[in-house]
Amino acid sequence: MIALIVRRALQLLFLLFGISFLVFSSMYIAPGDPAAVIGGPTATESDITAIRDNLGLNDPFLTQYARYVGNAVQGDFGYSYQTAQPVADAIMVRFPNTLKLAIASMIVAVIIGVITGLISALKQNSLLDVSATTFALAGISIPNFWLGALLILVFAVNLQWLPVGGMSNPFYTIDGIKELILPAITLGTGSAAMIARMTRSSMLEVIRADYVRTARAKGVKEKNVIWIHTLKNAMIPIITVIGLNFGFLLGGTIITEKVFAINGVGRLMIDAIAARDFPMVQGSVLLVATLFVIVNLMVDIVYTYIDPRIKYE
Amino acid sequence: MKKQWLLLLTLIGILILSACSESTIPEGAEGAEGEGTTSPEAAEQEVIYASTTDAVGLSPTMTNDSVSSSVMSQIYENLFERNPETMEIEPQLAESYENTDELTWVIKLKEGIEFQDGTPFNAEAVKYTFEKLIDPATAAPRASLLEPIDTVTAVDETTVEIKTKYPYGPLLAALSHSNAAIISPTADEAQDSMQEPVGTGPFKFTSWNQGDQIVLGKNEDYWDGAPELDKVTYKVVPEVSTAISMLQTGEVNFIDALPSEQLSRVESLENVEVTKKEGTPVYYLTFNHSTERNQNPDFRKAVASAVDRDAFVENLNGLGVRSDSVLGPQVFGYDESADDAGTAYDPEAAKQLVEENGFGDEPIKLLAANRDNFILMAEIVQSQLTEAGFNVEIETMEWATFLDTARAGEYDLTFLSWSNVTSDGSEMLYPNFHSDNIGASNRAQYSNPKFDELVEASRTTVDQEERKNYLAQANQLMLDEDVAIVMYHGVVTAATDQSIQGLQLDPNGQWFLQNVTRE
Repeated sequence: MIALIVRRALQLLFLLFGISFLVFSSMYIAPGDPAAVIGGPTATESDITAIRDNLGLNDPFLTQYARYVGNAVQGDFGYSYQTAQPVADAIMVRFPNTLKLAIASMIVAVIIGVITGLISALKQNSLLDVSATTFALAGISIPNFWLGALLILVFAVNLQWLPVGGMSNPFYTIDGIKELILPAITLGTGSAAMIARMTRSSMLEVIRADYVRTARAKGVKEKNVIWIHTLKNAMIPIITVIGLNFGFLLGGTIITEKVFAINGVGRLMIDAIAARDFPMVQGSVLLVATLFVIVNLMVDIVYTYIDPRIKYE
Repeated sequence: MKKQWLLLLTLIGILILSACSESTIPEGAEGAEGEGTTSPEAAEQEVIYASTTDAVGLSPTMTNDSVSSSVMSQIYENLFERNPETMEIEPQLAESYENTDELTWVIKLKEGIEFQDGTPFNAEAVKYTFEKLIDPATAAPRASLLEPIDTVTAVDETTVEIKTKYPYGPLLAALSHSNAAIISPTADEAQDSMQEPVGTGPFKFTSWNQGDQIVLGKNEDYWDGAPELDKVTYKVVPEVSTAISMLQTGEVNFIDALPSEQLSRVESLENVEVTKKEGTPVYYLTFNHSTERNQNPDFRKAVASAVDRDAFVENLNGLGVRSDSVLGPQVFGYDESADDAGTAYDPEAAKQLVEENGFGDEPIKLLAANRDNFILMAEIVQSQLTEAGFNVEIETMEWATFLDTARAGEYDLTFLSWSNVTSDGSEMLYPNFHSDNIGASNRAQYSNPKFDELVEASRTTVDQEERKNYLAQANQLMLDEDVAIVMYHGVVTAATDQSIQGLQLDPNGQWFLQNVTRE
């Protein structure tokens, strides 16, 4: 286990190095000049030159990259071109919101997804199964911005049960939970649908396995057959889907953050790309990559619990 | 196995804990809130405004975006301001001024004014502000605003003498720009003005949670009488339709810059009042004047004749003003005779010109940035030009790429817009069409010595009536030669909760809350 973590940490270092180079060079090659965005449409040539000099944008590519990496290994991720704020601060202000949203959405997704998937697997081809499968299909197909806008209109504007947007209260307060409900449902529905489909197919596969028939033949209670012999063995692909989805959600969810006016990492990243705020883009991409690796590591660890046959040397 | 669970739980715990440790009040802001409140019985008067983007920073020297400018205009003040009704420039922190000669402006300052940190407002503060803006080491994004200034001298406590390098007509307009607002030298030296601004204005900075909200409080000691409002909150709501829903539920009380397609929804809300005012922004179709085909007057005439601007303005639900003039009705230098002095819509004449000259043979690249109304304009203009026989291809791109592409002149036709806090015609024509700025802000790549001369005269003449005359001539020349085809002049809008009274909306889109009350 420890060896696994150490190995992953080392891989992460190389990965981050590679990613930072990719992001840095793609931002460098991409059209659009950060100084021109800062100066605005009426900036004169001298304005723009002064801004470029000030940001060190006139240095050769490798000098800029070496400077970035040199600072980054010392924990200094640079300053935003736009706001002159430390990148790490800007990200850490927003990350808690993204994390709250990701966790809340995953809770919604797992509860709805696993239950729907189970029901439709156990009552295969029944009316319940058909409606659950339809729900899953709809969940995958409905665009987030549409669902978000619809939920706002119904629950915030017309019924006035929940706030329209924003996320400024701690999650353990009533207001904090209220703020999370609509965005979590909006974001969780898509993942719920995926989890439901995976649960259904995985359960159907395991439920026909020989050891399940054996268990039934030996007179094991149906409840135990389902929970101990079937679901647990069907969990591996489900956990994989959950882990992948959670990783994506942690990367920030631009549309949901925008619709619900949530100050998250996704919005930060998109705004930074639009403004060619290279250090900010770089910093947020590195964070997302790190989180993805951590979540995958957690998933791998969970595997060993669910299926003791899985061992990491 | 237990160990593994423990490890997993620890990892999850760390993630959750980092969420709990979130602080919504930035450093240094603790305790500041509530200072401005009056007696406990009186309900706190607050206005919450929804902004689509966050401010970049709060230093007039170091920013150049409209949201920052909007927040700063509540905190800082200028030596001069433009009266939103008469559009005349009037003293704000200045008392009076005189020109001892064409290069010298002696400005008398109001006495007894203090910055919000207690620093006296005086000639030294003015000198500090302007010198910092001009200093190349500062790398101010709008250093060019005061580029013509040579020296700033503090003659005595309340007198400043500004000498310009050449006679500079728009100086007072430049001094009324939000980037030329006066900053407290003590505060600016002690702290980062981008984060903790200190000015002389009616509201003072309380807190800023980046990307989320900025809170301002009442300046009890404001020299022109403390405002009624105790608190002003700028909340970042990137999605306009969400902001409108929030206005409907009362989560915010005020939004502005309504898009034309959302106007009817906002107007139908019961508790909301919509204010519209003719504004200074102008949106126009321009040629890339560096290409041979576009230098042909017949080609430009054919394009101008083919574009039905009346029809376009009608589609804007009242959020556009139709006039051929490049300098709009709210801009200094406008002359109403220019309203219909451009090439009129005449599809038959356009067809004829296209046919005779074979303009339809080669494709035209119509470049459009994917923001504002630009793509809508591009689609409508494309269909109108196609009808006249042109062969038009639209290319859309996001803003940063667009700025580069247009600056490099890699297009045939494009849409540009201009809006400026100074509302001065020289500030429109010089950056956008003077040959000095080709390769930078003159994206139309326009170069015409006669036009340059007129614009220069409008800049280097101190007499304002004469300046107006030069600007009107330059404007007329642009219309005669179809240099740019004005699609519409903007209408600035605000939608407020009915309880808000006394909002001052300026034609340049800025607004002031000094006299606002909530009933």
